[in-house]
Amino acid sequence: MVPAVRQIVHVDLDAFYASVEVLLDPSLRGKPVIVGGSPEGRGVVSSASYQARACGVRSAMPVAQALRLCPQAIRVSPSHGVYGKHSRAVMEVLEGYTPVVEQLSIDEAFLDLTGCEALWGPAPEVARQIQERVRDECGLPCSLGVATNKLVAKIACGQGKPQGLVIVPPGQEAAFLAPLAIETLWGVGEAMGRRLRELGVTTIGQLAERSEAELVRLFGEGGGRLHGAAQGLDDSPVHTERERRSISQEHTFGANVADRQTLQRRLLSMADHLAAGLRREGLVAQTVRLKLRYDDFETVTRQVTLDQPTDQADVLYGQALGLLDAHWNRQRLVRLIGLGASGLLREGGYQLELFDHSDQRNARLSHTLDEIRARFGRHAITRASLLRDQFTGPEPSDE
Amino acid sequence: MKVSCMQENLARGLSVVGRAVATRSTLPVLSNIMLSTEESRLKLSATNLEIGINCWVGAKVEREGATTIPARLLSDFVSSLPPERVEMELIARTQTLNVKCGRFEANIKGIDAQEFPLILIPEEDDPIRIQGDSLRQMVDRVAFAAATDESRPVLTGVLAELDPDEFTFAAADSYRLSVSSMPLAEGPETPVSVIVPARALQELRRIIGDEETVQVLVSPNRNQIFFRLESAELVSQLVEGTFPDYKQIIPKGHNTRIEASTADLLKAVRMAAIFARDAANICHLQVVPNGDDGLGRLIIAATSSEYGDNVSELDVRVTGQSVEVAFNARYLQEALNAIDTAEVALEMRDPSSPGVLRPVGGPEFVHIIMPMQVAR
Repeated sequence: MVPAVRQIVHVDLDAFYASVEVLLDPSLRGKPVIVGGSPEGRGVVSSASYQARACGVRSAMPVAQALRLCPQAIRVSPSHGVYGKHSRAVMEVLEGYTPVVEQLSIDEAFLDLTGCEALWGPAPEVARQIQERVRDECGLPCSLGVATNKLVAKIACGQGKPQGLVIVPPGQEAAFLAPLAIETLWGVGEAMGRRLRELGVTTIGQLAERSEAELVRLFGEGGGRLHGAAQGLDDSPVHTERERRSISQEHTFGANVADRQTLQRRLLSMADHLAAGLRREGLVAQTVRLKLRYDDFETVTRQVTLDQPTDQADVLYGQALGLLDAHWNRQRLVRLIGLGASGLLREGGYQLELFDHSDQRNARLSHTLDEIRARFGRHAITRASLLRDQFTGPEPSDE
Repeated sequence: MKVSCMQENLARGLSVVGRAVATRSTLPVLSNIMLSTEESRLKLSATNLEIGINCWVGAKVEREGATTIPARLLSDFVSSLPPERVEMELIARTQTLNVKCGRFEANIKGIDAQEFPLILIPEEDDPIRIQGDSLRQMVDRVAFAAATDESRPVLTGVLAELDPDEFTFAAADSYRLSVSSMPLAEGPETPVSVIVPARALQELRRIIGDEETVQVLVSPNRNQIFFRLESAELVSQLVEGTFPDYKQIIPKGHNTRIEASTADLLKAVRMAAIFARDAANICHLQVVPNGDDGLGRLIIAATSSEYGDNVSELDVRVTGQSVEVAFNARYLQEALNAIDTAEVALEMRDPSSPGVLRPVGGPEFVHIIMPMQVAR
């Protein structure tokens, strides 16, 4: 049974890397701190303390530019390997309240406190406690948002930063979102934002007034989701790791497809997204699954188990192509293609190779690409073969 | 065609050729087994175009002829029959095979034998001869290390180097290598080196009887290999390409060598594998020498972050220094299973160099496993 009202908390550590650096070197406290590579090199800002942000310093800005904006700032090189430990400590505090914790990234998590009132008290009270304990026990500042769903909780959290606690009572979701800029919504990127502004939609409230049919006409499938989001509606569950057994992506083609190249490129793009999702969560997949739906809605699903679990796009893609070639009936038009990875394991080791070390090279390359995308956005770097029509599939969904 | 034979012999013959039947082919006739008469024998043939097997069953031939019958149906039916004489008669007009045994009878629709690809095995005056049990042992030591995924086709095969007085098998996937050699009484005049699909060798291993001598032939254009047994033949396509230079990979030296009981080590690794199941199969090996007495301990451990951990200790002979290396437990298990001497040696250099397993005082056999790098 799904309870009518959920209690979701979003926790986000404030300027996480910079805060950890302050923790490691207390003399930095209260000062503008920039964590990033050297300005002589072409380093960019990984994280900046709020004192530095006050001068206009932002993440992903070249360090040289940041230092021009904020000459008094102290630059610290990222202490790789340390942040994970501090992140873990914070997550342990959160897991003390509920096992239903979904860690989004190194410094962000959702908690589902539904049904925990009897144990810990009302969710806003728990959120206040968490904020104190993370500050006292982990030495790190954080912001929290409390709402009835993930979407609103996350936006609420963002509104309170730094060291904020924003509570959106049940029923107030739409009203809370209404005055905010449309870009605050998940899924509204630069391009969609520009489109909406051209239509005179600048706030979420104005977006909420548009009909679903109109948004679907403008933005296709995504329009429907956008409509719901603007009303503050979101029923996506908080996923714990234990539940996560597979990740997958699907794409329905606008027009049914008969050529291998289109399918191939779509698979490559999906493999890229899935692999990035796996790496982000520190998981490796043992099984690759291909799904094909033909124009008559007949659906074929085939899978293959790997010798070595992987988080590499090239491996997922290679296996997907193998499945496609073995099972696609070329006489028929494809309406939908899907790629999934399952048999997920926490990455714990890396099998070294006998003959060449391309796997290790690829892993390093992927890691670098992840960092570039984390700093400059998903489209900052892409495969040349995917350039022409910029496949921008949805984020990997979980099952 | 009208022919009769004993149910046991027919069932055995069908199981010998059955594994060569194509499972997912666009050519329907390849899902069938061909039955044909040859002098006073019944010949059974199956092929998936990669490998083909012929097998002869003693029979009473009343009328010559040939047809092909769906493999699954025929095998399932014949194996359910009582151990009595089976009579088969082809009704040519409808390509239907009437099968009678005692009070059981079936009519099975077939496909014209004309459509079946011929499995031709050339005659050769002077073939290479290998003892059946030697060949079996060699397959057991080597074939399991071949790759199962097709991303590098040469690695799905076993490199077979046949010299005048010795033969060597080598197989590798991307993470391990197995190499073994044996003397050869009747080898080729000039060395032959081919890559045989590991699956073909495993099928061959299955059908080699005891005390049998296997004749080996390579087609002149080097694209097929033939194995002739007393009452069966197997032909396989060869894998094209160049096998990696495996001799380069076999480490020349080591820093630590242990000698342990093969059975004890296998038991400890099996135990670790249970715990390593959800932790990428990582099994930690730690060698702790006692001092200068050449003895020491081998500690084998596995940890599952979710379920718990396991540690085993073995007394071993040690030369060299202490070392800690992580391996995939499955690879260790499979390698140890292939070693039939009481003691096994494991040589290591450091956590990122290959580990080398050898039977102690046993045959010429070396197995290399790449370690796993473990996040700390």
